[in-house]
Amino acid sequence: MSARDAVLGAVKAALGRSRPADPADPAAVAAEALALLADPDAVRPALPGTDAAVAFAARVVSPKVGATLDRVEALADLPGAVRRYLDGQGLPHLLALQPDPALQGLDWAGFELRDAALPDEAAAFGLARWGIAETGSLVFHSGPDTAVLGHFLPLHHIAAVRASTILPHLEDYAAVCGAAPRNANLITGASGTTDIEGSYVRGAHGPRFLHVLLVAD
Amino acid sequence: MPHATPAPEPRSRPRVGLFVTCLADAIRPRLGFAALSLLEAAGCDVEVPRAQTCCGQPAFNSGDTQGGAALARRTIAAFEGCDHVVVPSGSCAGMIRAHYREALADDPAWLPRAEALAAKTHELLSFLADYRGWRPQGVALAASATYHDSCSGLRELGILDQPRALLREVDGLELRPLTGNDVCCGFGGTFCVKYPAISDAIVKEKAVLIEASGAQLLLGGDLGCLMNMAGALHRRGSAVRAFHAAEVLAGMGNGPAIGEEE
Amino acid sequence: MGTVFKRDVARALSDATLKTAIDRTTVTAERKRAAALTDYPQFAAARERGTRIKDHVVAHLDHYLLEFERNATASGATVHWAADSEEACRIVLGICRGAGARRVTRSKSMLGEEIGLPHALEAAGIERVETDLAEHIVQLAGETPSHIIWPALHKTREQVSALFKASHRDPHKTEDVEAMVESARRELRDRFLSAEVGISGANFLVADSGAVCTVTNEGNAELTTTPPRVHIVTAGIEKLVPSLAHAFVLLRLLVRSATGADLTQYTTFHCGPKRPGDLDGPQEFHIVLVDNGRSRMLADAGLREMLRCIRCGACMNHCVVYRQIGGHAYGATYPGPMGAVLTPALQGAEKARDLPHACTLNGRCQEVCPVGIPLPALLRGWRDRSWKDGLVPQSVRSGLWLWRFAAERPRLYHLGTAAAVRAMRLFRRGGWIGRMPLAGAWTRYRDFPAPAGRTFMEQLRDRERGR
Repeated sequence: MSARDAVLGAVKAALGRSRPADPADPAAVAAEALALLADPDAVRPALPGTDAAVAFAARVVSPKVGATLDRVEALADLPGAVRRYLDGQGLPHLLALQPDPALQGLDWAGFELRDAALPDEAAAFGLARWGIAETGSLVFHSGPDTAVLGHFLPLHHIAAVRASTILPHLEDYAAVCGAAPRNANLITGASGTTDIEGSYVRGAHGPRFLHVLLVAD
Repeated sequence: MPHATPAPEPRSRPRVGLFVTCLADAIRPRLGFAALSLLEAAGCDVEVPRAQTCCGQPAFNSGDTQGGAALARRTIAAFEGCDHVVVPSGSCAGMIRAHYREALADDPAWLPRAEALAAKTHELLSFLADYRGWRPQGVALAASATYHDSCSGLRELGILDQPRALLREVDGLELRPLTGNDVCCGFGGTFCVKYPAISDAIVKEKAVLIEASGAQLLLGGDLGCLMNMAGALHRRGSAVRAFHAAEVLAGMGNGPAIGEEE
Repeated sequence: MGTVFKRDVARALSDATLKTAIDRTTVTAERKRAAALTDYPQFAAARERGTRIKDHVVAHLDHYLLEFERNATASGATVHWAADSEEACRIVLGICRGAGARRVTRSKSMLGEEIGLPHALEAAGIERVETDLAEHIVQLAGETPSHIIWPALHKTREQVSALFKASHRDPHKTEDVEAMVESARRELRDRFLSAEVGISGANFLVADSGAVCTVTNEGNAELTTTPPRVHIVTAGIEKLVPSLAHAFVLLRLLVRSATGADLTQYTTFHCGPKRPGDLDGPQEFHIVLVDNGRSRMLADAGLREMLRCIRCGACMNHCVVYRQIGGHAYGATYPGPMGAVLTPALQGAEKARDLPHACTLNGRCQEVCPVGIPLPALLRGWRDRSWKDGLVPQSVRSGLWLWRFAAERPRLYHLGTAAAVRAMRLFRRGGWIGRMPLAGAWTRYRDFPAPAGRTFMEQLRDRERGR
């Protein structure tokens, strides 16, 4: 008997399935599972105010997330905002840029750009698909225009997100995310650790700094 | 919270069976008499069935479910004629209320009797406060006190506010907060003698916090926990004195504390 | 009763440095969890919902396993099944060998610890690089984790500093925690990028997509699973959730209960291997579904509720026993209350004889459990079994037998207690007893209040006669 048969057989026996070959009634199970998601507001924190983008912005800079935030009017303003941040950090205008056409089409004059982050990259810049106000999370999906390592290798992670893509709650992301990408990365602050005596330190393996650029359009 | 909605009293003077507990019977009879006088003051006719011994918790919690069940049957038989069973211990009351049905789960003849007894069994302080609406009158004690919430009473029976509400009515008694008031003292019934070194480490921390409260008295609702904490306090030379809260409410707070000679 | 447990407890209790380390982390953890719950008034409702989700999954585990397998396979993952830890390790090693792995990175997984994967990798001659900072510390020290969230909780910063200085290529120069974390970052960066295989656990397996959820604050999971050619997930079969939305309900509970944050910094759903056009990611994605006793727990009404556990560690942070003895004294992967329930199930009750008994049954673990596991009741269930199986020491059995014998005979009992209190009074000095035969376990540490001269029952009889 294969391990698969052994494990499934043991599970079915433990559940007292009368005929081990019988599948559970999928429709009934699905209905029960769906019912467990009813009234989501009863089990999630309420947002301050009604504007998800406002709540997101407040959340991102709160101690819970501890990121920094800048606002721009349009995508076209992003290179300027990135330059401001790099200047403020005393960093050269050197950037691993997520190869997203929406970003690559911007005017990056004066920047030295790379497609992929190097192991010791100082700064990388990407565009999140969504923001989540409840947690202040940025959501990236891996794909031809988004590398996973771009979010993890740099010391400074700079991420833009459009205000129109800010979702109120985690469940709202589950509703709109569509077919699962290879990696869905929900990023909520910079890398941190409490592994030494519970004291919180940033930049454990991933970025030490997260800078969010909220695009008004 | 089992005491959240008190049932209306069927009679003006209910017949209450006092379950003294084995510890109070042997070590601190004063507590039994305090309970007796409080129940009478609260308008109850009190009986003390002579057939009572131990609730069975030491056996039950040691895994001897049959032994626990045997003592549960005896306790049920001794008390089921009463309107209420009142116990000056959250731990023993919790055993009857929450665990007799587990001990007797395989005994169809006794299970309904266990359920019936569970439904009318109460810890003393919560019974006085919630069911009898009793408050101390003219009881005075010039002292500062801190209160430890014993775990069974707190978590199995939801007893938290009742003892404090009663103690606030004692003239001259100042209640001080205890850091970690809801953290186990390390007694744990037979745990304290099965794993005495761990128990000691736990109660030592508790003793430090009790002293840090600055109170003269340590009060609580369970004699086992109080003996553990008082014994640790005395061993470290502390001046803090320990009483069961019922003793203070019964006006016996001027008498000998736990470990003081009569 | 010189059990291994008691020996290890004695060692732990005499280690003042250990106690300092335990307090530094657990006190912070307790405070942060409490603060997180203050900001989350929906916690009680969420806890009840999370409990129902887990119970639903457990009740339909066969259905969800098959659904997950189908969807994971469709995403390009290879799903393996392992009935026990040996089989799980054999599968992982087989994949590693197939990938020609010399170096493997690992992102903290308690299931990996449970099945002995660290040891199996080393025995196979494969270099194992632990990437979670705490696991890295534990690996350098040649130890095992002492907590499921903070594996190096037993180490003080001074001890970590000494370890890093002895083993890092370019260690920290200043004695602050920031510098130590930086030292580990330098040490591990090239290891992440040079491993052939990355191994992670799973916090959730999402049935309707076949995705595997990992949560970390360090970002080490993604750095472990993205660069290597092969990503292997080892996961217990109880990790399933119906969908992403269900996972979010549980994530809110898990993270707040574990660290007091609202969400981990990096919450990632991994679904299959690198796809055409993807810029990075593993070419092979293997998921090893591990039973290792879980189907036995499923069949056991006294243990089934333990399958709800989402491994947050709150029960141990709030356990008075754990906070005195730390994790290593439990002698197994899972310490604290949840470990005291799980270890006898995984290793056998005989080997873990002390664990269910070394507990005051104070109920705080159940109170803080985000999925309402009745841990005290489950522990008492183990005590019941160990009594029936004759694992309770004879001294305890005899004592309780004698007690029961008397307590079932009220006249004898009352005579006996009346005599006993008189005997005890022979040992008193003032109102206290400092030493007394048969009471050494108490009086070694505490004084015992001397009983009054006559029992309550005697005094009551006198009073009634006097009336």
